[in-house]
Amino acid sequence: MTDGPLIVQSDKTLLLEVDHPSAQECRMAIAPFAELERAPEHVHTYRLTPLGLWNARAAGHDAEAVVDALVRFSRYPVPHALLVDVADTMDRYGRLQLSQHPVHGLVLHALDRAVLVEIMRHKKISPMLGAQIDDDTVLVHPSERGRLKQGLLKVGWPAEDLAGYVNGEAHPIELKQDGWTLRDYQRQAVDGFWAGGSGVVVLPCGAGKTLVGAAAMAEAKATTLILVTNTVAGRQWKRELIARTSLTEEEIGEYSGERKEIRPVTIATYQVMTTRRKGEYRHLDLFDSRDWGLIVYDEVHLLPAPIFRLTADLQSRRRLGLTATLVREDGREGDVFSLIGPKRYDAPWKDIEAQGWIAPAECTEVRVTLTDAERMSYAVADPEAKYKMCATARTKIPVVKRIVEQHSGDQVLVIGAYLDQLDELSAELEAPVIEGKTTNKERERLFDAFRRGEIQTLVVSKVANFSIDLPEAAVAIQVSGTFGSRQEEAQRLGRVLRPKADGRQAHFYTVVSRDTLDAEYAAHRQRFLAEQGYAYTIVDADDLLGPAIPDVG
Amino acid sequence: MGALSPRGLADHLRTVDDGALVAMLRARPDLAVPTPTDLSVLATRAQVRLSVARAMETLDLFTLEVLDAVRLAPSVPGVLALVGDAVPAVRVRVALDRLRSLVLVWGEDDALHVLGAVADTAGPYPAALGRPVVELLTYASSEQLAPVLQALHLPPARQPAAAEALAEALADPVRVRKLVEGSPPEARAVLERLAAGPPLGALRGARRVVAADELDNPVRWLLGHGLLAATGDDSVELPREVGLALRGDAPLGPLHPDPPGTSGRVLKTSDVDAAGAGQVLEGVRLAETLLAAVAAETPGVLRSGGLGVRELRRLARIAAVTEPVAGLLLEVASAAGLLGQSGEVDPEWLPTPAYDVWRSDDTAGRWAVLATAWLRMTRLPGLIGQRDDRDRLLGVLAPEIERTGAPATRRAALTALAEFGVGIAASAEEVVAAVDWASPRRRGRGEALGWALDEAGTIGLTGRGAMTSYGQALLAGEPAADLLRKLLPDPLDHVLVQPDLTVVAPGPLEADLATELGLVADVESAGAATVYRVDAGSVRRALDAGRTAGELHALFAKRSRTPIPQALTYLIDDTARRHGGLRVGGANAYLRSDDEALLATVLADRRSEALRLRRLAPTVLVSTAPVNRLLDVLRDAGYAPVAEDAGGGVVLTRAEERRAVTGRRSIRPGADLPLLDDERLAQVVRAARTGDVAARESRRAPVSTTRVPGVTTATTLAILQNAARARSDVWLGYVDAHGGTATRKVRPVSIGAGYLRAEDERTDVLHTFALHRITSAAPVEE
Repeated sequence: MTDGPLIVQSDKTLLLEVDHPSAQECRMAIAPFAELERAPEHVHTYRLTPLGLWNARAAGHDAEAVVDALVRFSRYPVPHALLVDVADTMDRYGRLQLSQHPVHGLVLHALDRAVLVEIMRHKKISPMLGAQIDDDTVLVHPSERGRLKQGLLKVGWPAEDLAGYVNGEAHPIELKQDGWTLRDYQRQAVDGFWAGGSGVVVLPCGAGKTLVGAAAMAEAKATTLILVTNTVAGRQWKRELIARTSLTEEEIGEYSGERKEIRPVTIATYQVMTTRRKGEYRHLDLFDSRDWGLIVYDEVHLLPAPIFRLTADLQSRRRLGLTATLVREDGREGDVFSLIGPKRYDAPWKDIEAQGWIAPAECTEVRVTLTDAERMSYAVADPEAKYKMCATARTKIPVVKRIVEQHSGDQVLVIGAYLDQLDELSAELEAPVIEGKTTNKERERLFDAFRRGEIQTLVVSKVANFSIDLPEAAVAIQVSGTFGSRQEEAQRLGRVLRPKADGRQAHFYTVVSRDTLDAEYAAHRQRFLAEQGYAYTIVDADDLLGPAIPDVG
Repeated sequence: MGALSPRGLADHLRTVDDGALVAMLRARPDLAVPTPTDLSVLATRAQVRLSVARAMETLDLFTLEVLDAVRLAPSVPGVLALVGDAVPAVRVRVALDRLRSLVLVWGEDDALHVLGAVADTAGPYPAALGRPVVELLTYASSEQLAPVLQALHLPPARQPAAAEALAEALADPVRVRKLVEGSPPEARAVLERLAAGPPLGALRGARRVVAADELDNPVRWLLGHGLLAATGDDSVELPREVGLALRGDAPLGPLHPDPPGTSGRVLKTSDVDAAGAGQVLEGVRLAETLLAAVAAETPGVLRSGGLGVRELRRLARIAAVTEPVAGLLLEVASAAGLLGQSGEVDPEWLPTPAYDVWRSDDTAGRWAVLATAWLRMTRLPGLIGQRDDRDRLLGVLAPEIERTGAPATRRAALTALAEFGVGIAASAEEVVAAVDWASPRRRGRGEALGWALDEAGTIGLTGRGAMTSYGQALLAGEPAADLLRKLLPDPLDHVLVQPDLTVVAPGPLEADLATELGLVADVESAGAATVYRVDAGSVRRALDAGRTAGELHALFAKRSRTPIPQALTYLIDDTARRHGGLRVGGANAYLRSDDEALLATVLADRRSEALRLRRLAPTVLVSTAPVNRLLDVLRDAGYAPVAEDAGGGVVLTRAEERRAVTGRRSIRPGADLPLLDDERLAQVVRAARTGDVAARESRRAPVSTTRVPGVTTATTLAILQNAARARSDVWLGYVDAHGGTATRKVRPVSIGAGYLRAEDERTDVLHTFALHRITSAAPVEE
């Protein structure tokens, strides 16, 4: 029994006491193989998963090192069975290797013959394998490379991909570091990615994922396909690339619903890639239209299934995934691992905040009490209508107004899910609204005006959840959301996390109706904030509206 | 050597002192029960083959090798010479002392005796050497030996002189070696193989006289030169003399004075103990979780005994362990008396009262109970999930996996591991090899030994594959719990409350704190530490259990080392505010009226006191009395109540006469009787008559009998044979396969091959009776 900061639980979670003197050292030791699950104030929870352990193996850590880290920092004796399990799991990685054979091309080579026999008999794997060359080697058709890796991961024998990458069509790209330089963690992320060949970089919103992409392109110096969630995000990428790299406007193409340009660097949206006409994906040729040297997937946690299928065919090209969280609501983390690549870099939000790269945020939940009339109509409402009814309670509007007043001089985003409510707020606050039906042109115009400070308050629907860079937004007020989506909460918080020019604090308000579903969903979403280390305060609307106004602005 | 009379041993026993006899009985306790009447009885008993076999099971490989040497050369100098320089003489003497203490070997140093049963048990080939030439050739024909004598340039001779001459010639190792050197290479390969043992080979037509033109065949060549001897029509044996000559300096073959070693890693004792203690925490926690799960939803006992596969799966899922681990822990809990069956009818598996006592102990104490039970239990949980020879699945807690040898096997495995040294993580194969060396005559336990090691790891007796210090103490029968207690963390009195509403107990908690937290929060992750999550449901559970919001606040304020997050305070207050907002109770009837004053009157009326009315609202009273009584009492008191149905409609009551709930169905007489025809009635009568006669006859006692089953006397046989010839009926007393006796009237048809074939007088069906089951026979007097 030592006095270590770590407690290893039998369900393979690791509890790290953050205030412990050697907590930082321990974090460094376990970060390569354990996934950070929750980072509340005092005790962080990490989890050991097969994926995480295989990630570690892929990054060159062996079981001995993992066991040693667990035993060294553990406060209590670590159950022997767990250590055995860790060693066994890690031992499964790399028994099979995908490699280039000088004569036969792509082959699957086994370091353990029994494993090869096992998978050759597996009815899901065997169709993907070709003829057997010798006892330890079997042919693989290059087009099956991705699917095979995916399949092998599912059966628990992840293959090490040593088959290498094609360089693609060369294209000169340089970073223009005039007056700015790549931050340390961005550099580490790029280096980690480049050394591994393919993989995913996990960074919080506002931490400059675009720059990681740009730097990766500068490493590759090849034609690049960038896949983004929507057109606005695509244009943002374009702007950023023109500003930060040697690329010019002419070299960057947009491939979206509106334009179909294919240039050395092409930015396409997930939406257009997955548009179907007569049951066929019309735009998948894009993947083959050039000899791409690098493919960048923005917001990889949202990558739609058809793109996964395509990515399976692109295993010989370098792939970079960017995301704020690897949590996928559909549980396809395994596909991300096998098709895009293992996680190459990860840092907890609070660390980056501590370095000053993302703005510190103060989270507040404002509870409003419904009027008796509202309570009554809520009480008798249909179950389907209940959430909307309490989320859009009129009582919220004066509260929102009050918060906006308190932050006069700041750039404020009011975020909601229901259009009626947004329109109402827009009228009350005399602020423009951006929603699904707003044209891209109009959106661009309003966002620009907001960035320049011409508009102080903007009311937005969930179209603004992703990839909109509004550096000056310092206050976000959330009035309604998509039920309890934690991912949405993270994205919305991300809107205000970009560092402010004067280092001001960001504010994130959630206005909820007390004793209703709204409060329940809010509690669920806030768990995510708490788990990311953001403590939030609960404030009563009456305190906010009342005569004694606390100086929060 | 070998064959000797019991008297010889008895006389020997008479010469030794009491201490030696006591040592002998200690080494071979089976000789002492029942108490032998005198030394010759003891001597006889000591030579019984079963007892000798049992004694030999306790010998290690080297001692058995020395025993072989004694059989080859029955004297101490002879044995030492055979063993040679390979092993220090003192080691040989130790082995001899052991053999003597077991009285497998006795006598003076220059003339040792080996019990005859040793050869019966160990086989006729000590040290894998064949029998001596004389013995092998005694029964060979003179013709067979003639070519051999010729090949060895010996004068022709007839038996038995031929065999003696050959024996004399082959007793000279130089001569044998010369012969071997002159043999064809293929023949030498055969010799070397047989010399390494076993000394037997198969050869068609081995007894045939070797013809001169057959010498191309290597085995024939060997037979023709006396280097092999035919022992049967199809078998040959390498004579002992030849084997010894071929082995040269190592007449006993390779010796194994030391147990096989290990290439296992040497770990620090503290690491081993730490890993083991970690597993102890885990094992004890899992056992408790499983037992709690059994208590929460009691699984039924299968008709065949044991626990159903599906139940095991469910319990394993609850505890988040694999089924084999769950099976093992349930078996151990059952062996420790923590898990048992409820009553006779539809029994269920339930924790026993001992479980509550066990639960109140600390981890080390609880572990000691489990580990001791595991060490001693005569069950083999490794069999769970396998199928028996009748293809039935072997289940957890089922009677089929009872194995009396299990504790010995377990102890053998752990002892072998412990003997490698503290902190040595030997592999299962190495442990099996060591156990096989220590008791080679009990080989074949490899699988069970492997299971024992796995189970020891699961229970935490070993850590990282090596023996722990407290495990060793337990094995030695010393108090292990105290040693273990020092390795386990002390219980804590505080927790850490986090803003995401989780409560982390960074170690085992004091029992009362654990209980309180278990009430107000759900366990999210268990292990050395516990992570609890507080939510509205769990807070409500605490409130339901009678805690107040204030108490909950106080609990967290007092026990948390970290500041209480605002969210938790709000959660408790919000839940408490809503708790009890709705009230539920039972009442048999209500009394309502729009006239509040009227209800007040009724409530105040002394005549309605018996109704125990209670005011719920100004316009509603409830009563525990049934509706009819309420109506009667109110009417008697002069009120005018009306009854309501569930929907609020008025029920018009009118006095009803009472009726029985159900009537009995009337049945037409005779409807349930079966149809009887004359033929069946006749059968009934015949059967009744036969039975009656049988009863009378048996009272009269049959003429010729022996009442002892298994003895059929000549008289009985004579009666039966006569009856068969005359085709007349006899009364037959018979013991059936279930041991029941019966008397039947039969007509014998034939007797032969130990069976009587006879016709049954009633049915004319031919029956077969085993003669040894017939207890009596008597002619029927018409």
